[in-house]
Amino acid sequence: MKPVASPPHLSAAEFHTACTTLVNSFNALQDAPSKAKWLDISLDPGENMLRIAKELSVTTTSHQEPNSHDGPEIEDDDDDERLHSTANNTPLIHYDVLLSSSYTVPVLYFYISDALHRYPPTMDTLYMHIIAPEYVDQTKDVGVLGGITITDHPIFNRPVFFIHPCRTAEVIQASLGGRDISSFEYLLMWIGAMGKSVALDVQVDLVLNAREMLQGPDETIEPFAKV
Amino acid sequence: MDVTALLRERVWSASIPLEISLHTADCASYDAVPYLVHAPRLSYLAFLLPKLHAFFYTSLIYPDVSPTDAWLEYDHVPLKWHYPLGLLYDLYSGAEPASSHDISAEHVQVPSSEDEETPPWKLTLHFSNYPKDQLVQLDAQEKHIHDLFINNVKEADFLRNGTGKTVMSLSKEDSEQLWEGVKQRDYRRFTRVNNKFLNPQGATLRHVPMRLYLPHAASPQAGNRFSSSIHVQEDGKGEKGVMPGSVRVVQGLVPLSSSSRQRQTVGMALHTLLPNLFRNTRGPCLIAAPVLHGAILPLDAGLEELIRTTAYVDGWLHIAFVML
Repeated sequence: MKPVASPPHLSAAEFHTACTTLVNSFNALQDAPSKAKWLDISLDPGENMLRIAKELSVTTTSHQEPNSHDGPEIEDDDDDERLHSTANNTPLIHYDVLLSSSYTVPVLYFYISDALHRYPPTMDTLYMHIIAPEYVDQTKDVGVLGGITITDHPIFNRPVFFIHPCRTAEVIQASLGGRDISSFEYLLMWIGAMGKSVALDVQVDLVLNAREMLQGPDETIEPFAKV
Repeated sequence: MDVTALLRERVWSASIPLEISLHTADCASYDAVPYLVHAPRLSYLAFLLPKLHAFFYTSLIYPDVSPTDAWLEYDHVPLKWHYPLGLLYDLYSGAEPASSHDISAEHVQVPSSEDEETPPWKLTLHFSNYPKDQLVQLDAQEKHIHDLFINNVKEADFLRNGTGKTVMSLSKEDSEQLWEGVKQRDYRRFTRVNNKFLNPQGATLRHVPMRLYLPHAASPQAGNRFSSSIHVQEDGKGEKGVMPGSVRVVQGLVPLSSSSRQRQTVGMALHTLLPNLFRNTRGPCLIAAPVLHGAILPLDAGLEELIRTTAYVDGWLHIAFVML
């Protein structure tokens, strides 16, 4: 894979290649548990938009083990999470990644879909249900409203959360430290930098898988963990 | 005063007559009078909503509703309070846009204010059933509108100069002046800061901050996929979850100066951004026309002149498309 031509910026073609690699390596995952972390990932070729969906994790507000479901379910009615984490009532969190034509870096938009409309795109939803408690302070401490705000989705034109890209190039530049990287590595690095606070991350198996597909098993590769 | 400054000021002072009535579901009386106002094209409905709450307060069924529950609707379309009013009007009012063929050459083609006879745009005010899936909810401190405004200003700056430096290096006082100038409708304060954006030191303008708003009818591919992943209420929002009044927003890199130093026109920009609708740089599109500040944009208008005279307060040319 060729290195990104003008880092920290990404072209539409490079973005497309990186997303395709990510989608293919996800689809090639054999291991069911790691696959289950994301429900779905796809590339909308018409819009050049990467779409990732996963179940909304509600564990930030609950101390219960996710596996303690067996046994009789006689619960207080305050146990909303348990009640709705079954079957198709599970709320999903959607991450849509597009390349900003103005900033020429990827931009993250995200929102929750829920049959019961419990998670409208508001700052309350953001801080109570999406951002992990340890990231709340650093997220709130930027800009007028915080580093994450609400804007209209560029394709669907409805309010969703987003991370403003005006600092992304700087962050990527700093993480690169002058190295040449492929567009796929760029995308992983970007997800690592932008996604962490909003519960978007890439499972290790997927990365290993992609490396095998891209480079063959013999080459030695820098670990990604530092990102 | 030079022509640019003159036009700039006329665009600034353009206004739209509004007649706003409280929705019957929120109104306790049968004879609540509507609120009449000439609202500036360049302003935001966000600034009007608290005033509307104060005005209709005594007519409300539930007087304890918050001003932030207020939202405006026209013909079943919830109006985005963070779009400039002029854009909303051009998109949804159905008013016939002015065209350069209509008026004789000696008239200035940018309307300074709507004609005396312009009928008011009749909007409905709601205080219940906030359409959270479609509208960002306003907050009491106006932080959301400020945030959306600043983000647009930053992006416009980035496009014009290739860096966001002008905005980033703005003093705290200047950025407050800019925002207060917009909020208080203080032309002098606003222009002092805005001129820094338009005349960045040691740089030429590179790209045009330009957004195109296409009605759903002109962009059949958009709008359906969101509803497949987000759950949309089935209460009369139209087929396949397409909201009434939904628009497709299009933007991209539109250069201000080409390598040949050719003057860049509206026609060239539209051909770049919407090649399927504008198949060449001069011929008009047969199904939709670009409208800015109530007038059909001539395709041979120069982009740099437009930016300097007719941009909205966030620095963008927000161009509505009306179906022909």
